[in-house]
Amino acid sequence: MNPVAVLREAFASARSQPVASTLTVLIVAGMIVAVMLTTGRTVAAEQSVLSTIDSAGTRSITVRAEDGAGVTSDVMDRIAGVEGIEWAAGFSSAIDATNTLIPDGTRVPVRYAYGTHLDRLGIPTASPVPGQLAYASATALRQLGLPDVAGSVTLTTGADYALAGRLTTPDFLTGFEPVVLIPQPDPTGSETINILVVTASRPDLVAPVSDAVLSLLAAEDPTKITVQTSEALAQLRAVIQGQLGSFSRGLVLLMLAITGTLVAIILYGLVMMRRKDFGRRRALGATRSLIIGLLLTQTALLALTGTLLGNATAITVLLATGAPLPGPAFLTASSVLATATATLAALIPALAASRREPIRELRVP
Amino acid sequence: MTLAATESRAGGVVAAPVLEARDVVFEYVPGVRVLDGWSAVFPAGSMTALTGPSGRGKSTLLYLLGVMLHPQHGEILVDGVPVSSLRDAARARLRADLFGFVFQDAALDQTRTVLDNVTETALYRGQSRAAARHAALGLLDRFGVDVPPGRKPGQVSGGQGQRIALCRALLNAPRVLLADEPTGNLDPTTSSLVVDALRDHAGTGAAVIVVTHSPDVAAACDREIRL
Repeated sequence: MNPVAVLREAFASARSQPVASTLTVLIVAGMIVAVMLTTGRTVAAEQSVLSTIDSAGTRSITVRAEDGAGVTSDVMDRIAGVEGIEWAAGFSSAIDATNTLIPDGTRVPVRYAYGTHLDRLGIPTASPVPGQLAYASATALRQLGLPDVAGSVTLTTGADYALAGRLTTPDFLTGFEPVVLIPQPDPTGSETINILVVTASRPDLVAPVSDAVLSLLAAEDPTKITVQTSEALAQLRAVIQGQLGSFSRGLVLLMLAITGTLVAIILYGLVMMRRKDFGRRRALGATRSLIIGLLLTQTALLALTGTLLGNATAITVLLATGAPLPGPAFLTASSVLATATATLAALIPALAASRREPIRELRVP
Repeated sequence: MTLAATESRAGGVVAAPVLEARDVVFEYVPGVRVLDGWSAVFPAGSMTALTGPSGRGKSTLLYLLGVMLHPQHGEILVDGVPVSSLRDAARARLRADLFGFVFQDAALDQTRTVLDNVTETALYRGQSRAAARHAALGLLDRFGVDVPPGRKPGQVSGGQGQRIALCRALLNAPRVLLADEPTGNLDPTTSSLVVDALRDHAGTGAAVIVVTHSPDVAAACDREIRL
């Protein structure tokens, strides 16, 4: 059986039966539109809600160590091997600093920063003068009176640091604003760390990662350690995802079942109306598998056309109404499911077509 | 029902048998035999008429010879090889490769073009589309089908339709051509053209078997088998 010839014949058959073909295309397109405007919107809303929860720091773990807790910068090396950590940084206690040119100006807290992931904050991985440059957030720069990032800060300890860039403050560090950091790329390992911020790669890993980090702190006085995690938020996230996902799956399954049934009815009707044609095909030498292949290919082509039409219509409606669009994964999955369902639904009519007996269909009474 | 008479006007069979029915028994309803131990040989280059009153099993016999039905007993042989017990797919391929069929009402696909109808069997044989179209256009021209090949069968006369069906049957130059009352609905001119085409095809060495009620068609055959 030549696949190209079968494809060509299936296409020609679909074109030669405009009513049945149009109905099949419209049913599949209608299914896609219905899914996109209901489940698709739910999924998009779910993605939006989850994104909001995630941006609120669902996956962050903040460890605060009071002076005397004994947590030092070598903890960064120890936690580097923990699986499930997406990002980590350690910070010293805050030291007040002012714009060097305005000693009486607004004081902002400055922290030494440790870790290898600082580039996420906008700090270059390599520095011409390691450990001697400071980076400030927009809020800190405004308070220092250095909106153009040109100048330096003087710490209450008397040390001066040139400002080298603007920091990007992620959501989980907004509580530290105004932020001014002095990266320490080559720590000795004995520097005191007062704050350790870790983000887990997934919300469900917050608890195990938190446990692992705590076990690796090597604090001299664990009573001076407090941990703030977003585990409760992560659990809420999982509940929201589970409930919305369950509703979406149920709705999609229902629509797939309706689509499959309708397509099967249409094709079965088509086969019954055209049973003489299938009998003739059998008489002239078409094998059963060829007839089944032809009908399935024909249905798959129509279903594919229906999914394209349905997706285009639904996206237009969603864009026009300003509703959120589901992601490409949802579009692809719903299209594949719709095409597969319609093709599968064609199997029984195809089997019926392949079993038409030539003598029964072709004999003239 | 039993075979009433077998008469040969061919004056003796000289060619090798292409198609043979051997002790064929067939019944639609258990116990009611349409054919009971029926045997016949259809030599290459011969044209045979199957005649007899309606309901005697002529069409059933034709579909048995065309390996579309299974005999309950006996065998159909093509070139001496038993074929009626082959698997369904193998019998379908045999029909596509070696057989040609002309049905009483042409049995054309009304939704497809004339050219698509003539070339339909190319798909079943795996024949190239271009070669089939070329051959089909030649046959349509030969049989005087003077309608555009893109036209649909519903837009042509019954006579033209039967010529189109004849072109479809001849597309693969079949070794066996089976025709079920091919002139039943035709005017005398078209009937004559169809019979001449069948005769010509028998002249190429094929076995042609025609179910007919027409004495004229039967007379044009080499022999007549009455059921």
